[in-house]
Amino acid sequence: MTKSNGTRRVVVTGMGAVTPIGETVPQLWAGVREAKCGVSELGGFPLEDLKVLIAAQIKNFDHKARLKHFERDKIVLHADRYSWFAAAAADEAMKQSGLKIPVEDPYRAACIVGSGAGGLTTYETAYRDLFIHNKRATHPLTLLRIIGSSAAAHVGIEFGIKGPTFATCSACSTATHAIGIAYDYIRHGLVDRAIAGASESVINYGTMKAWQALHVLSPQGCFPFSKNRNGTVLGEGAGILVLETLENAEKRGATILAELMGYGQTSDAKDMVNPGVEGPREAMRMALADAGLAPEKIDYLNAHGTATAINDKNETNAIKEVFGDHARKLAVSSTKSMHGHPLGAGGGIEATLCIKAIQENWVPPTIGLTEPDPECDLDYVPNQGRDREVNYVMSNSFAFGGLNTVLVFGPPPA
Amino acid sequence: MDEVATKIVEILKKHMKEPRDDIALSTELQDLSIESLDLAMIVFDIEDSFGIEIPYNANEEVEDFKTVGSVVEKVRELIESKGGSAAAAGA
Repeated sequence: MTKSNGTRRVVVTGMGAVTPIGETVPQLWAGVREAKCGVSELGGFPLEDLKVLIAAQIKNFDHKARLKHFERDKIVLHADRYSWFAAAAADEAMKQSGLKIPVEDPYRAACIVGSGAGGLTTYETAYRDLFIHNKRATHPLTLLRIIGSSAAAHVGIEFGIKGPTFATCSACSTATHAIGIAYDYIRHGLVDRAIAGASESVINYGTMKAWQALHVLSPQGCFPFSKNRNGTVLGEGAGILVLETLENAEKRGATILAELMGYGQTSDAKDMVNPGVEGPREAMRMALADAGLAPEKIDYLNAHGTATAINDKNETNAIKEVFGDHARKLAVSSTKSMHGHPLGAGGGIEATLCIKAIQENWVPPTIGLTEPDPECDLDYVPNQGRDREVNYVMSNSFAFGGLNTVLVFGPPPA
Repeated sequence: MDEVATKIVEILKKHMKEPRDDIALSTELQDLSIESLDLAMIVFDIEDSFGIEIPYNANEEVEDFKTVGSVVEKVRELIESKGGSAAAAGA
């Protein structure tokens, strides 16, 4: 029940996701199996003078249908969209875990649900009301909708979690940090179970303008590792896991989906937008060391793979340094080619896909990869997923500011 | 009930989990199981509907928010002190 370093073993017993290609994990996985692309024409608000007119949006998300059964959290239906995604994903994960709701021994449970930006769309609406429509006040729930910890609070209220409850915030590494911290809390005995992951919903006029001004969005699509890649595509959604000790999971007869074996986190401490090889490399090495695995044991790596010119090349180089000869035998893919870049939620969604890959011995593809970039020369599983024995997987999340996080999952302990 | 009172009852019902049809001027707000957050939203809606500003602080117990009738009285007073009629009602 403990690892060689004496810490408790941690397993995943539930997972939930809301994405543009599937609003639950089974739907998402079916979408990935079909190599579905979630990128579509931007819509849902006046586009005005926007130049980038695509995004991976979740169309027609029915928050009422998904959340109306919530019993303890009375106002989740009035929350920001990012909290809806978090609540729906957490609900799916909790149901799968079979844990009692509200959770037993509530002070020994954690709820760490991050967000890169919180309720940015609520901000935009409120500021439009004030500055354009000259309204005398914002909507009374504006503040509660905006705060970046509101998703964590909503989820914690509904599931009765009374231990550590907060949000992580580290741009595209947000979910992975949340899962990593929950893992640390559980293995070191601070809590026995946790809901962990992140949620994001920032596709609005102001955010699109801000991303456009940084000149990193593609007007055509998200084509990671391709010679034709010309930027990322904003996505939205949530990815959340239920984690607990192996001991508790076995004791209550829960179905174990995977073991969370390793976590690495580093910071480049160098540049806001230009990543280095060293930081990502060290984070991957740290996660492998923590898992007690040789690099050759990893079968599948879910890359950060944003489809920006610099990330994909840099990540490829970092993978080569960590894996050596094995880098070419490893299946590497960027599922962002399908679900877009959901910013803070990315690592949560990608963690669910890594676990599905282990369960089904099938690796997801990188779609839109028709012309490989000579500088990105690994096996990115182009366009079609494939059968492959998958025991151990790695999931990379690298964020603006050079914030790097990596998780390693393995099969349920025999 | 006059126009102001009818409008206020309408707003109250909109924010109640289980709206009732027997709301009278003498009904106490606490009997409508309206919580502090609901009250903030009710105040916002009333202000919008009548074009007034209600001095309300969630930290204080206020007599004006005891019964439906006292809310109606307060709103009427604010409309009058604004110097206008209830013309803004329904805006």
